[in-house]
Amino acid sequence: MSILAYNGGIVIAMKGDGCVAIATDRRLGVEGRTVSIDFERVFEMGPRLFVGLPGLATDTITVSQKLRFDMNLYELQENRQMTPKTFATLLSGTLYEKRFGPYFIEPVVAGMDPKTNEPYVACMDLIGSTTETVDFVVSGTAEEEAYGMCETLWRPGMKPDELFECISQCVLNAMDRDAISGWGVKVHVMEKDKVTTRYLKTRMD
Amino acid sequence: MMSHEPEPSPTTCGAPLLQRGFDPYRDNAGTLVGIAGEDFAVIGSDLRLSLGFSIFSRDQSKLFKLTDRAVLGSSGCWADCVSLNKFLEIRLKTYGFEHNQPMSTKAIAQCCSTMLYSRRFFPYFAWNILAGIDEDGKGAIYSYDPVGNFERVPYQAAGNSGPQVLPFLDSIVGKKNQSNPDKAPITKERAINLIKDIFISAAERDITVGDGTHIIVITKDGLEEIRLDLRKD
Amino acid sequence: MFMTRSEYDRGVNTFSPEGRLFQVEYAIEAIKLGSTAIGIQTSEGCVLAVEKRVTSPLMESTTIEKIVEIDKFIGCAVSGLMADSRTMIDKARVEAQNHWFNYDESMRVESCAQAVSNLAIKFGDNDDDGTAMSRPFGVAILFAGIDEKKGPQLFHMDPSGTYVEFLAKAIGSGCEGAQQALQEKYHKSMTLKEALKEILVILKQVMEEKLGVDNVEVATITKEAGFHMFTKDQVREVIQDI
Repeated sequence: MSILAYNGGIVIAMKGDGCVAIATDRRLGVEGRTVSIDFERVFEMGPRLFVGLPGLATDTITVSQKLRFDMNLYELQENRQMTPKTFATLLSGTLYEKRFGPYFIEPVVAGMDPKTNEPYVACMDLIGSTTETVDFVVSGTAEEEAYGMCETLWRPGMKPDELFECISQCVLNAMDRDAISGWGVKVHVMEKDKVTTRYLKTRMD
Repeated sequence: MMSHEPEPSPTTCGAPLLQRGFDPYRDNAGTLVGIAGEDFAVIGSDLRLSLGFSIFSRDQSKLFKLTDRAVLGSSGCWADCVSLNKFLEIRLKTYGFEHNQPMSTKAIAQCCSTMLYSRRFFPYFAWNILAGIDEDGKGAIYSYDPVGNFERVPYQAAGNSGPQVLPFLDSIVGKKNQSNPDKAPITKERAINLIKDIFISAAERDITVGDGTHIIVITKDGLEEIRLDLRKD
Repeated sequence: MFMTRSEYDRGVNTFSPEGRLFQVEYAIEAIKLGSTAIGIQTSEGCVLAVEKRVTSPLMESTTIEKIVEIDKFIGCAVSGLMADSRTMIDKARVEAQNHWFNYDESMRVESCAQAVSNLAIKFGDNDDDGTAMSRPFGVAILFAGIDEKKGPQLFHMDPSGTYVEFLAKAIGSGCEGAQQALQEKYHKSMTLKEALKEILVILKQVMEEKLGVDNVEVATITKEAGFHMFTKDQVREVIQDI
C-alpha cells in the first residue's frame, strides 16, 4: 500500500455561484486502526482561503505549519492578503522543492479572490503539479469514489445552500465506500462576506 | 585470507540472474452496473474492450444472456470471461436435459459461485454481476468476486468504474445519507435512465469506458435490449 | 440343441437370441423374494410402508432399516438384497447433496431416480473408479418425495434401472396381492390419513406374520414436515385405527 494511504482521508472542493465549498472527513488512522476522529486536515489560511492536505498525517501537519510561516511573512512584507492563485503557486513551489524526497500529501486549495470574489479551486499531486478546474477537485484515499459522486451531482451555478447539500452528499457517499475515510465530516462554505462551517453527523464505522 | 565477496552462482556463471515470470492475466477493463426492482432487473455494460491504452473493440458487450430470465455480466480478463460463460452454458444445457426444467436464477447464482470457486487457486480473473428474476417474480442482482464469494444485493457496480459508480448508487438507489428518503421502490424507467446517466458520467472520467453501452431489462415477459452511444475518445 | 436359459444366462453382457438379458430378468425375480414395500402418493404427501421379516425373537428388529431418508424431501423404501440397496441409497444421498451444493435447491424426485438409475445400469462395466458392479443390483426401490413444482411424487425403479411414476405401487413378495388391492382402493382425492390407514390394511393382508409395531416401518413425506419416520408409538396409533 502507498504511504499516501497510510492514515486515510478525503478532501473535496467545489465551486458554486459566488461561493466555494471545501469538505473533509475527520478520521485519522494507522492503516486500518482508527486513532482519532477529530483530526484536522483542512486549514483556514486566510479570511476566504482554505487548504486541504490529505495524505500522510505527519506531512499534513508539517506542510500546514510551513505554509502558515510563509504566509505570515508574505503578508508582513507585502501588507496585503494572498490570493488563492498565489497561494497555490507558493504551495506548488514548496512541494517541488522536495522533488526527490517529497511530502506525501496531495493538496486541495479552495478560496475566493480577496478583491474580485472570483471562486477558485485547484488540486495538485505530491510534487506540486497543479490542476485548476472550473467545477470541483478531489483528493485522498476515496478519490475515485468522490470523482464518481461529483461527476454526477455537480452542476453549474449552485447557490451556497445547494452547494452545501451537493458537496455533503458527495463526501458522505464517497467516504462510506472507503474503509479508511469517514468518522465525521466538516464542511466550509465561503461566500463573499462570510464563511459557514458545519459538522455533519455520519455513520461511525 | 578468505574473500568476503559473494561466490558467483554456478548456474549463471556470474551473470545477473534473470527471473522469468508467469503472468497469464490481462485486464481488458469493462464496467457493469445492475439494479433490481420489484418485478424487473436491469443490467448494463459498456462496449469498449481495451488493454492499457489500446482499444481492441468498440462494440463488445459484456452481457451474456443465459436464460429468458437471467443475464450475466462479466468483466476483467476477457478470455476468462468468455471461457467461464462457455462452461456455464454447458452447465445450463445439461441441467435442462437432466432435470426437465430451465435453471432458476437462484440455481444459476449458486452454480456460478461453485464454478468460480473450483478455480480457487488459479482463478478466472472475472468480476461478475448476475441479474434476473427469481422464483417469486422479484428482480434479483447477485454480485461476485473472482473466486466465487457472492451475495444478493439490490444494486451493484463492478469492473473498472465500479468504485466511481457505487457511491452514486448508494446515494440514489440505496438512499443512503438522506434524512427522510422517499421509500417508493425504483421504477423500471428510472432504473434504465439511471444506468444510461451512469455510463455517460463514467465515460467522462474513466478512459476505459466509452463507445457505447448495452443495457438489458429483464422482466417476466423476457429480455429487452437497449443500446446507447457514448463518447468515443 | 441347447436348453432354454442355459447358454445365455451366465454373462450380463450377452443378449439371448430372443433379445433378452437373463441376468437382469433374474434380478427382477429376486425382488419377489424380498419383503413387501408399498408406497402411495396423495395430494398432501406420500406414504411409505414396509414389512420387516423378524425371523427370530432374539433379533433386534430396529436394526432392519428398509425405509430411509435421502434428503429432507425425499424418502426411499427398498425391497430385495439389502446390501445392494446400501450402495444405491448412498448414491442417491450423495447426488442430492451435490445438487444442493451446486444449485442451492433441493433435488427433484425424478432427478434422484435418474441418478440412481445411472448407477443401476452400470453393471458389467469395468471402469477404474471401482463403482461398477459385476452383476445387476438385486433391489427394487420406491422413491417418494415432494417436487417443488409438481408436488408429491412416487417413483418405482427395478434392477434394470427402469423408473416409472406411480400413484400407488407395491414391491416385494406380496406385491401382486397388494397391487391388486391398491388398484381397488386408490382414488385421487385420498387424504394422507386415509392413505396411511389403507397402506397398513393392505400390508396386513399380504403379510405372513401378524402386523405389529415391531415388524412394520412407516414414513411420510410432506411439504410441511419433509421426511418423517414414524416412531413405534405413532405406528401403534395407526394400527389401532384399522
